[in-house]
Parts: sequence; C-alpha cells; structure tokens
Amino acid sequence: MGKHCPACNQLHYYPRPHCPFCGHRETQWRQLSGKGHVYSHSIVERSPRPMAPAIIELEEGIRLHSVVTDADVYALEIGEAVTLRFLPTQDGPPVPGFTTVRAEHARAYGDHARQLLKSAPSPLIDALDQVAVIGSGHMGVGISLAFLQAGLKVQLIDQAQEALDGAQQRIQETLDQELSKGRLDQETRNQRLARLAVSTDLSSIGKAGLVVEAVWEDMALKRELFARIDAHAHPDAILATNTSTLDVGEIAQATQRPGAVVGLHFFNPAHVMRLIEIVRTPLTSARTLQAAQAVASRIGKTGIVVGICDGFVGNRLMIVRERQAGRLLLEGALPHQIDRFLREFGLPMGTFELQDMAGGIALMHRSRQRRGERDWLIQQLFESGRLGMRAGRGFYRYEAGKRRPIVDPEVTVLIEEASRQEGLKRRPIGDEELHDRLILPMINEGAKLISEGIVDRASDIDLVWQLGYGWPQWKGGPMYYADQLGARQIVNRLEALQARHGEMFKPADLLVELAASGGRLTAPAP
Amino acid sequence: MSIHGKAYIAGIYEHPTRRADGISTAQLHAEVALGALADAGLTLDDVDGYFCGADAPGLGGLTMAEYIGLNHLRHVDTTESGGSAYLLHVSHAAQAIAAGHCNVALITMADRPLASAAGTALAGVDRNTMPNLPFQAAVPPPPMYGYAMVARRHMHEFGTTAEQLAWVRVAASHHAQHNPNAVHRTVVTVQEVLDSPMVANPLRRLDCCVMTDGGGAVVLVRPEIAKQLKRPAVKLIGAGEAVKHPNAGHIDLTWSAGAHSGAKAFTEAGIKPADIGYVSLYDSFTITVIMQLEDLGFCAKGEGGRFVADGNLISGQGRLPFNTDGGGLCNNHPGNKGGMTKILEAVRQCRGEAHPAVQVRNPEFVLAHGTGGNLAGAHAAGTLILQAE
Repeated sequence: MGKHCPACNQLHYYPRPHCPFCGHRETQWRQLSGKGHVYSHSIVERSPRPMAPAIIELEEGIRLHSVVTDADVYALEIGEAVTLRFLPTQDGPPVPGFTTVRAEHARAYGDHARQLLKSAPSPLIDALDQVAVIGSGHMGVGISLAFLQAGLKVQLIDQAQEALDGAQQRIQETLDQELSKGRLDQETRNQRLARLAVSTDLSSIGKAGLVVEAVWEDMALKRELFARIDAHAHPDAILATNTSTLDVGEIAQATQRPGAVVGLHFFNPAHVMRLIEIVRTPLTSARTLQAAQAVASRIGKTGIVVGICDGFVGNRLMIVRERQAGRLLLEGALPHQIDRFLREFGLPMGTFELQDMAGGIALMHRSRQRRGERDWLIQQLFESGRLGMRAGRGFYRYEAGKRRPIVDPEVTVLIEEASRQEGLKRRPIGDEELHDRLILPMINEGAKLISEGIVDRASDIDLVWQLGYGWPQWKGGPMYYADQLGARQIVNRLEALQARHGEMFKPADLLVELAASGGRLTAPAP
Repeated sequence: MSIHGKAYIAGIYEHPTRRADGISTAQLHAEVALGALADAGLTLDDVDGYFCGADAPGLGGLTMAEYIGLNHLRHVDTTESGGSAYLLHVSHAAQAIAAGHCNVALITMADRPLASAAGTALAGVDRNTMPNLPFQAAVPPPPMYGYAMVARRHMHEFGTTAEQLAWVRVAASHHAQHNPNAVHRTVVTVQEVLDSPMVANPLRRLDCCVMTDGGGAVVLVRPEIAKQLKRPAVKLIGAGEAVKHPNAGHIDLTWSAGAHSGAKAFTEAGIKPADIGYVSLYDSFTITVIMQLEDLGFCAKGEGGRFVADGNLISGQGRLPFNTDGGGLCNNHPGNKGGMTKILEAVRQCRGEAHPAVQVRNPEFVLAHGTGGNLAGAHAAGTLILQAE
C-alpha cells in the first residue's frame, strides 16, 4: 500500500499521513500493483532461506527498499521481474517482500507435477491397521516412527532382542523429543508408544496388511528373509523392501507372490523425509502398486513410482554428480569451492559437507573396498581418522560442538598429493566448468531414465529431487532446469565435455532428439 | 556567511588504540581532547566551544563537558549524522567562530564497539523508532547491503568492475604499510582482493573497512589565535554539507549528497578539484570512494572505476593520493564512523607531517570528505577544503 496526494498527484512510500512532496495534510491510501523489477540488489551469504536485499522499482514508478526471497538470488539480475510475497515475522504482521516471477513459474510447475501423481484408491490400504517392519536398525526405527505417526499399529521384528530393546528406546526418545518441543501432546505420545510391539518371532506378522523389510543390503539375506515372510504373511498383505541398491525383482522371485512385492525406498530419516521411491518390478501387480501409492499418502508422504535400476531415480543422478565432484578435486578444485558452487546453485548442502555430516568417507571407503577399487584420497582420509563431522574432521575440520565446516589446509595437501599420484596437473576450475561438470551429467542421466521408462514422466524426477535432496521449489528440478537452459545448449556443452573428458559425457539420445526438434523434457504447467 | 579563512585547525590527535579493553568511552574522549589541545599548545581553560556526536556518553555534550573539564563553554553543538558528523562539526565550529560565538572549538570523537561487543551498531541510533520500519524487511539489513546495492548499480550503469573496486583497497594497503598503528599493514594485490570471500555481493571482505575502537579530536581557533601558536597553521577555506535520502520512493543510487556538499565547498574555497593535492575520502567500502570521487568532480560521473585503477590513488605513484594513513579500509574506523580520521590525515598532509613515505610534496590544497548514514538510504555528506600556510 502506498499513499497518494490529491493536491500534487504524487505517490509516496513508505506511507505517511501528510504528503512529503507538498505538505498536504490529507493523503489517500492507494493499492500498489506489487509488481515491478529489480533496481539493484545484494545477497545474504549462507542464508537458510535465499535472501537478497533489494531495491524494487514498482510498475507505478516508485522504488523501495525490500528483499527478494524464495528465488534464485545468485542468478538475480537488475531488471528481473518480481512480484509481492509476504514474509512472516515472529511476533508482528507479515512484512512485504518480493520473489521473482521466474520462481513463481517454477513453483506452479511443481504444484502441477504433484497433481499428476494422483492415483486410484486402494481399499486394502484404506483398511490398513497394522504394519510389520522387519529389521530394527536405523532405517527400521525411522520407518516404524513414520507409521506410528500416522496412527498405525507397528510390529517391529528383529532376530536379536538387544537390537529390539535399543530400537524401542530410540523410538520412545524421538516421541519424547516431539513432546518436549510441543509438537505432540502426552496422550498422543502414549497412544503411539502403545501401538508399537516388538518381537523376535517372524511368524507373528500374520495380521499385518503391509510388511516392510529394512535389513542389511545383502541379496542372499533378503531373498532368504522374503521366503520366510511369504510363509507367514497374510495372503492379502503387500510385501515391501526398503532396499536402495538391490534388484527388487530378484527379491520378489524368492516368494510365491511376486505380484505383491514392491520396493518402498524411504529416505533417511524416514519419519521426517517426505519422499518414498516406489519401486515396481515387471511382476508387481496394479493392485500392489496402487496400495503402495496409497500407503505413501496415508502416512503423509509423496510416493513416486520408479522402475528398477541402479540407484533408482534420486541416487542415480546423485552418483553421476558425486563421481564428477571427486574427479574435479583431482583436477584442481577444492571441497569448499565445489560446496559453495552447489549451495549458490540452490541446493541445501554441498557434496563434501554432506559427506562429512553423513559419515560418507567410511561408506565410500567400504564400498570401494567391496568393489576392489583403489582410491588413494579416500583411503588416506579414512586411515587418518577423518571420518566426518562427528570425528571433528573429514573433508573439513570442525570446532568442538559446531557444525560449520572450516577449510583444512591438511586436506588441501592430501588432495594435491592425490593429483600427483594420478599424474594430473592441477589447474584453476571456474564456476562455469563446475556447473557443466556437476549439473549437466545429472540432466543427462535424467534424460536416460525417461527413455529407459524408469519414470512415468520427467516431472517425477524433479519431485524426487525436491523432496529427497532439497532441490529448491523455486528452481523446479533438474529436468525443469534443463528446459530453461534448452536441449540445444545442453547437448552442445555435453559434446564439448565429451571431447575433453570422454564418453561419460555423451549426450543422451533423448536430449539429442529434443535439441533437433526444439522440444522440452517437461510439460509446462497449464 | 563565508567561512573562508575564518578558522584554523590548530591541533589534532588520533588515539593509538584499535581495541579499547579496560578504557571507558568517556576516558577515550578525554584522552583525545587532551591530546589535541596539547598538540595545539592550548589548555582546557582555553576551550569555549565543544562539539561532539552521539558517541559521546551521557546527555548531549553536557556529560562530557563535565567529565573532560570544560568550564568556559559558550557554545555547544551535538550534530549527529553518522560517520560524517565530525566534518560537519568542523564546518559548524568555523561558523560559530566567524559569528563570534566562540574562539577555541574542541571536537571529540571516540567509541569502542569491539570492546563493548556492539558490532556494527552506531551510537545513538535506535532502529525501533524509525517510521519506515514496519514497511521494510523483517530484520533491517546491515548497512553493507546498501553499499553493495550502490556498487551493483554502478557496475550496471557504468561498467565498473570488481577489479576497479579492488584498486581502492590496494592503494589503501600501500599506504597502511607505513602506519605502525594500522590494523592491516600488509600490501595486497588486486587478485588478493578478488580472492577474498564474498561478504555482501558484489562486495568482498577486502572491499570493506575494518571495525575498530578508538577516536580522535580536532581543535579549531580563530585566525588571531592560530598566529600565536607554534604549530603549522592549517586554514579552512571551504566547507559544504548536504543531505540525501530515499525521498519517499524516489531512490537514485547513482549519486550521493557529496555532489552538493562538494560543489558548495569548492565555490567557497575558490578553487577547482584539479587544484587538490591530497584527498581524505570516506572509505567504509571501496565503492564509497569511487562514488565520492565522481560526485566531488575529480572525474566525470561513471568514470570513478577507471579513475582509481592502476594505482592512481597511491601516493608517489598516482595522480591523486588518498587516505595516506591507510584509511578505514586498512588503518582504523573507530566506532564505525570514519569522519574524524579523515580530517586528521588531511591536516597531517597539510602540515607535511604524514609518514615521509606517503607525504605528498607541498600540497597547497587538501580535501577531506565524509558520507554518514547509508549511501543507499539517508545520508549526510560533509566536505572540507584546507589550505597549508
């Protein structure tokens, strides 16, 4: 709202009872358009919510100090179109801010993508009362909590009573935390706890309408377990595995009812993250698939149906990015440079700070050992106890009790030595190269997923990355972003990378086709 | 009434501290007052006019008058305009002397934001009482974002580059290496400035001034008194002040109030920018310097970036040496207000008492300029032109 002076016919902002231009005492409220463009701006670094202090020039011609938020502030330019977006305050009325029109379009696209997920109703899940979760490790606990939060009864099964006791305690602690934060009342907390039963007896799962397996990632173990689940589960029950890497079809074959088997890939922590990748096998029945989608909605999550492939949708894109991140370290980049780029791109965390937080060095070391690969840098980091944030040092160092990564010259020395070992001469790597090396392979991999029929539509990839990996809503998703760049542009740049770095950058057939036809990966929101 | 030649700067003092643990703000004011009076060869009893800003503790200038021991005051002025207040005080003191309100005017400035953990706060500013507050972002952004927006607009309108901004810092660092009290004495390169972390895009850490405690004082006297004192006389021949603000929605970041204060000061002094041998320019951020050079007429609007490039502000090397003490960028920026220290180095240059490595050879005319408040919001500019005698 601005003020208009009837005496001198001028608008002013911020509003006052008198006219600051002619002194007239009676000014009138005037609704402002809330639309305009950026006159100039800055950026608040490391803001959890993107924030650009800005001067906005409204359509009415007046300029005001404000902020641009919930938008790609690092790509913001003078002249960019913005529109009003109110910001909540802690104890007062909301204050006016702005967001970009580009970001509004991306959000509309995301809303539309969610609309497309609507699935047929599942009487089976409408009637669902009890769930069995097999395996009481970290994921089993999170999954149990997710079902308890939805008011369902949960049987948590493990072969070791000790593990069950620990799991039960962690579930109780989590509920108590919610209670102390005021997110839960005492009665609900007690009810939820009362609905949890733990047991070492697999044969007791007969009343569960849904069985979710969350044990160690080992095909032989899972197959053997599914044969036993098959024997004890209710004939109508849906059998789900939480595997993130194994072939769900092969697991299904261990049962007499492969049509009832589906993957439910929860994201960690399972009771918080809103995404479930629903992995269908060629044998999964329509009834099972509908049930899996209904389960996701019943527990307040978004289920995205994907086909079987290594890493499904989310991790498959992540893996190609991580591979390039590791490679870029050897060629001349440093962890903080890559992480800064990714954060400025809009992701909540960079590769290496994420690894440090998740204890990724130990995981990477183990997986490389398993595959028989040698990675000098990971081995050095692992052997020198640089296991991540909890150890106080990983790709970065950390001050006691603090989570902020600090650049560690020791790591820089290790990385430089790793380059020498690989016979690579380190060179400066700019943001443009980081963009192309880290982001374009994700887009390329996404295009392959579409062609391979792993996803039903491009926007499903974007939803997976929004919900599972924090791709910002104001940037749509990797496929939406690809359409902003245009297939022609992407293919050109991938071909340039292919010429320099090899076949891993070969553009996907779909992108080449779209480049020729001028087509898009995603359907625009209506 | 012209103040040309109506007052002389007879004494100055800069507090050597950069972090005032264990010294009260009042004590700092007293120390700089006594220092400047001693420099002039005067005593507390000679002072009959007192000038201070909101950094002076207590009620206006009254509490400090009692604390310092000023017992013959006939004139008090507590003008507050942020960092430029002290340039305005010099101008007001000259007017008061010319009008016969006082003979010996003392101006003190001192604060300790580091030791008191006040951060970037400015003494005397209560944000909660600002009428525009309900219509702005939830948390009023720190002042650096305003300067960042000026910088981005300047880049957009005139093609100014980050390298050109960096040259301002490089020049200041060349000077600071000779100042034993400076916070940053290391000479930096353009590349080092560009490699420093982004603070308020497009401004990087080395585009920003230091934060320090400390202060300084100036003594102005009427010409007859100046002639009896032993120190080299520094004549005030021109002064200007001007205010600019967002004007209820009519913001224009391409010029500052210096355009008006500078023109007024040059007219009063009867000289041109080309006659100036040394400038003290407010350097809260590198962009501040470029804007002021243009607005004061040292180069055309939009040419500031090219003007400062290639060491043009470095003493002994460039055409227009600036801030030869290292300025706010490298030396000190007491209380987040850099106006006082701008006056002090201008007087040293006039007297020929700057460090020999940075002393300009016989600069007949020097200029000191300050911008207080926020360059992107409401601010007041003060310009002083001094002549060596």
